[in-house]
Parts: sequence; structure tokens; C-alpha cells
Amino acid sequence: MNRRDMIRASVLTGAVAATLRPTLAAPQTPPPHSELTPAQSGVDASNEFNVPNWKPLFLDEHQNETLIILSDLIIPATDTPGAKDALVNRYIDLVLAAETSENKRAFLNSLAFLDGESIRRFKAAFRYLSREDQDDLLHELAYPRTGSEWTGEADTKPDVGHTHFEALKGRIMTAYYSSQVGTKELGWDGAFAHGPFQGCDHPEGNHK
Amino acid sequence: MAYQTQDPLQQTYDAVVVGSGATGGWAAKQLAEAGLKVALLEAGRAVTPSEFTEHMPAYKLKYRDHSPEIARTRPVQKQCYACMEYNYEWFVNDLENPYSTPAGKPFTWQRLRVLGGRSLVWGRQSYRFSDNDFKAASRDGYGDDWPISYADLAPYYDIVEKYVGITGAAERNEMLPDGQFLPPMKMSCGEIQLRERVEAKFGRTVTIGRAAVLTQAHNGRLPCHYCGPCERGCITFSYFSSPFTTVQDALNSKNCTLITNAVVSHVDMDNASNKASGVTYIDRLTRQVKQVRAKSVILCAQALESTRILLNSSTREYPNGLANSSGALGHYLMDHVVGGGASGHLTNLNILPNANEPQRPNGIYVPRFRNTPSSKSRSPFLRGYGYQGGAGADFNFSAEGYGTSLKKAVKEGVYFVGLGAFGESLARWDNFIEIDPNLKDAWGIPALHINMAHGDNEAALMEDAAASAAEMLEAAGAKNIREQSRVEMPGMAIHELGTARMGHDPKKSVLTPFNQTHDVKNLFVMDGASFVSSACQNPTLTMMAVTVRACANLIDRFHKNEV
Repeated sequence: MNRRDMIRASVLTGAVAATLRPTLAAPQTPPPHSELTPAQSGVDASNEFNVPNWKPLFLDEHQNETLIILSDLIIPATDTPGAKDALVNRYIDLVLAAETSENKRAFLNSLAFLDGESIRRFKAAFRYLSREDQDDLLHELAYPRTGSEWTGEADTKPDVGHTHFEALKGRIMTAYYSSQVGTKELGWDGAFAHGPFQGCDHPEGNHK
Repeated sequence: MAYQTQDPLQQTYDAVVVGSGATGGWAAKQLAEAGLKVALLEAGRAVTPSEFTEHMPAYKLKYRDHSPEIARTRPVQKQCYACMEYNYEWFVNDLENPYSTPAGKPFTWQRLRVLGGRSLVWGRQSYRFSDNDFKAASRDGYGDDWPISYADLAPYYDIVEKYVGITGAAERNEMLPDGQFLPPMKMSCGEIQLRERVEAKFGRTVTIGRAAVLTQAHNGRLPCHYCGPCERGCITFSYFSSPFTTVQDALNSKNCTLITNAVVSHVDMDNASNKASGVTYIDRLTRQVKQVRAKSVILCAQALESTRILLNSSTREYPNGLANSSGALGHYLMDHVVGGGASGHLTNLNILPNANEPQRPNGIYVPRFRNTPSSKSRSPFLRGYGYQGGAGADFNFSAEGYGTSLKKAVKEGVYFVGLGAFGESLARWDNFIEIDPNLKDAWGIPALHINMAHGDNEAALMEDAAASAAEMLEAAGAKNIREQSRVEMPGMAIHELGTARMGHDPKKSVLTPFNQTHDVKNLFVMDGASFVSSACQNPTLTMMAVTVRACANLIDRFHKNEV
């Protein structure tokens, strides 16, 4: 067992810590349930979305289907699972259901903007477009319009399409990378202690 | 409480300590270990290690830290990063704990009511003040000197540091005295690059943060295991929090009685002798009104709360708040100004982010370099600021585009470097707290009206801090540098200080240099309320040293039968 494993083992059990400091002299009765957060009471909510017959709380069916398709385009399955597998639509629906009406409206407005652009250009709502057309539309929205290099004029109009795209993408990114799937995507091995911070071990002046 | 052999309210204690946080824990420990009979009052409940959540991944939270319960019950508390879906019950419910502010002058007041108070979630950064701070007024003509000097406090810094365990590196910097350090934490590549180049170009110090986190086993506690989020608790008690250190020692001495859920409303006075006779509290759960009798009363409730108790303790003799013959009680409220700094990317460092890298609960620190004794010129503002910051490889969650390339870009990451300033908040009479006659908390106790705004000097500090940070990052080779020159609302630094300042002159100050009120000989305020100026260093270490010094004096007086 190397030092790192030892630290990990001692932390995992907590046994070492418990023996080092005597417990508080006052008897420590756990506080009433109502004064703990669900997390502090040990509630694990990670599988709450993984239920058969899941129904959205806030989104309607069209909005939900659109969100699933959009999230799958923004974070697709590659050699690792994507946003659809991570059920990001279900998390976003849960959070939206509890948010202010202002935030709810902003989200629906962004989703509606996507459909509006889609209908304007392709005569169909976003979810019914071919993959190519969906990609075409997203590509146009994904990168901010900057001033024309040809005329030298700055584009002073705010890029509304890009703003809506970023709002939707932000929600999807947050939902994906905070999920168990997304945490794995980032490479987390599931351990919470990885030994002391080692810092820079490069020779001076050469931090390549 | 089963361990008590008699009713805790049927005896007269030598001292009642109000508040169990960083300072209250120390007061209880020092006094109880010296043989005094102490009652330690905490407005909240006890805390147990079983409720720590530092090892719970966010995906186990129902809302993954976007809980509507926080928005509903803690709209003020959630302005602090430390109030999360994990631990929000440690923070006060804003609906039960109101305060008011004038129109256009917001103030955010971060509070915990649970054993240990904010020491459970604090930022842990621990820096000594120097005589450049204690005697700043003599040097630049603004405000008042502290009635104590660095030499007075140094032995108590030593005591506190040796017990708490402060990781750090000695730098021999004129603005930042060295202390009793545990081995320093390591710096990242980017931080070393910044340190070397800033030293070479500007002669300024970039050092590893000094933090109340153990880097080796210390006083029965294990070293840090680098899991990251200290503010959710620590199974190895590696960061300093009072419930598992000072408070525990106080209780182990058998001289300290802990009374939780005791919401103190006011100090009780014996008007004939002009002495405090104890405190009145309201049981948080039953709303019963109770009294604790004591030969001395020590307020360690947090700067604003301690002063609120005094303002709510008016008598015929002290109509404007107890121990307020000077009129200074409530005035000179300070909180470090934040919002100035810069960030960028060190593109020369080809280091990928790693989800399994140990999480260092500490950053880097740049001590104040403006208006120092060795500064070649005076800045167009008073005092100065220090930076906290850091550098490391991060996942690039703001990568542009979408699809496979986005997924890849997130993992390729960016090498981030950033510096954020904490500036001195000048002590000004106009920044004050008073009782709001129309507002009470859930226990019927009159609430505070907090009247504070940062001024022109604080704004100038943040402007300079933004420009200086940018030039230091540029010297370090950073690209995509973004300056930020804002003045965040007061309270955001969570370093509230002042409102019951110490001083030699009873006409101008509330407390003696030993934290005793000038007006009432057995009444003490031993927390950040006593500060005369704010310096720019994180204040908790100094608050604890001031408390231990004041306790030493009080113990001495008890031994001489002067109390």
C-alpha cells in the first residue's frame, strides 16, 4: 500500500479520524431531520430521472422532444455517451419547473426562436428537419456574428440568434457535465481523495 | 443535556460567552481551561460529522445545486458561494432573519446559526496584520491608530497559529509578517511562472496561500486529503472549525456548559452596580425566554450581531445602546472591497485538466505592494489591497460551437490564471448599523438597519487592482487577459469589521485595548467588531489573536479578584 492508497483508505473508513479526536463531551444526538438538507441526511437523488413512464413537469411534449434532439446535437454520443443518454432534458425540466416565471419564459422563448428560424428557413419546426438542415441552422447560430472584414464596419446589432443558442447550450452543458454520465466523461474515477497536491515538478523555467 | 449535573440556568457562571464561532470557541477554551466556569451560548443547533457532504458528487443532489429551496429561503445567503444545496441548512433562513438597508445601498449579510458558525464554511485564509496596518493612521494621516501594536499581538498570533495549524511559506515581506507555519502547499506550474516573472519584473511577492488547513498531522487532527470543498465539512477535521477543536477543548475541561438554540436578545444589567449580570435569550425552538447569570459577559456573536445585542440592551443609563456613552457604537462598519482583478490563459503550458487531480483547498496570495514603506511613490489613493488567485488547467466549459468538437474542446481545457483583490475598507463614521424600529426577527428581537456603501477610495483601489493584475498576468505571459474593475456590494467579502471599535479614549471608542467596554467593566466584545481599521488581509486570524489576548487579560483579572 503506497502513501496515496493509505490516505484514501483512512479517509474512506473515517476510522482513523474517529480515534484521533475524542468525540464531543456533549452527547451528540443527530439534529432533527427538518434541519438537515436532503444531502446532509444522506439522500441520493441520482437515479430519480431513471424511471419508466417519466413525464415532464414543465415542458410540453413538443418542447421536450425538441430539447432532446437539440441536446443530442450539442453534445452527441461519440465513443462516450452524449446528452440524450444523460437524460439532460429531464434534469432541465425539473429545474425549470422550480424556477421563476421569468426564467421559464426566457427558456421557452429561446426554444421558440429555434423553431421560428427553422420554419422561416425550412418551413418546418426544428425537430422535423433532416439532420443536415438541423446542423445547418445550428452552425449559423453557434458562432457570434462579428463585423464585416470586407467593409470594415462593425456589426452593432446584437446577435439575437447566438444569444438564444448560448442560453440553450448553457442549460444543456450544465445538465450534462453535472450528471453521472458527464462526470465520467471528464474522467473522474469515483474517488474523492487522490493524495496530496503535487504541484509543479518541472525543472525551473520549463513548464512544458 | 445529560452531562450536566445541575440545571445550567440555576448557577452563576464566571463568564457567559455568546457565540461559538472562531472567536467564541477560543474565548470558551481559554477561560474554561484557566478554571473559570463558562456558559457557551450558540443560537443554532449542534453539528455532527454525520452531516458532512464533502464527498458527495453533485449528481446525487436532486437539483445538482440549483435547489429552489435555497432561492426561496436563502435569497441573501446564496449570494455566497459556500451556501449550496449540500449545506444550506447551516445558513440562516433569510425569512426568519431579516435586516433592512436604505434604498440604493444594498448590503449582503452572510450568517450561520449552528455550532461553530461561519468557521464551518470559512475561506480559511490566515494572514497577520503588521504595524503598517495597526499604525496606518500615523503613517498616512487617515483615521485612527489601533491602541495596540504588532508587538502586543505577536505572542497571541503564535498561540493561535500553533494550535490551529496554518500552512504557509515565510517570505520576509514588510507588509505580511511571517508566522508559525506548517509546511506550505505546492504551487502549480502556472503559479510558479507567475511568481518568477512578477518577482523579476515588479519585485512583488507571489506566495502560496496561508490557510488554516493541515499539511501534516497536528494536535490530533489528520492532514488534508485534498478532496476540495471544505465548506461542506471535513471527515478528517483538517481545516480549522471551532466545534471540533476549541469548543471541544472547552467542553473537555469540564468547566464549560454548552447551551445551544439560545438566541440572545440582550445583556442584562444590574443598574445599581453598573455591571452586567448575564444575558437573556429566547429558546430557538420553544420560544421560551430564559436567562443566564454570569460575573462577566463576553460577546463573540460576529461583528454586527454583537453590536446588535448591545443596541438592543439599552437602559435608562444607556438610552442609545449599552456601553455607548461615546456614541460610536454601530459606527465605522467595514468590509473589504472586492471586485477588482484580472484573469487570462497561460497558453504556453500544455497541461490537460485532470478530474482526478488532488484539489488544493488554497490559492496563491500577493501581499499589498501599494503605499508601503518601501514604495517609491505614493498612489493616488489611501492604503492598498492584496490579491488571492490561482492558476491551473481547467475543463473548458465555455468552449464555443457544438457537437463532437465541443466535447473534445471541453476536455482539452484551458490553463487558467487569475488574481482577485481584497482592498482595505476605510473606517468611516457614515457606515453604520442601527436598530430598525419596524423590523423584528422570528424571535421578536429587533433587527438591524445596515447603512453602508464603499466610497471613492475603495473604487480607486479596485480600478488600480484591475490594471495591476492585468500587467502582472501579462508579465507572466498570459493571453486573453480580461480586467474586471467593479466594486461589489458591501458584505460580499464576508469580512465585516468594526461597529464597536477599541481605543484609549472612552469618548471616541467603545472598547478598551483589552476588548472590555469602557462603560461597563465586566462586559466585553471579543470579535471583529473591535477592529479600528480593516487592513486588507483576511481578518479571522487577527480576530482570534485579539480574543486570546483579551482572555489572557480577563483571566489575570479574575485571579486578582478584580471582576
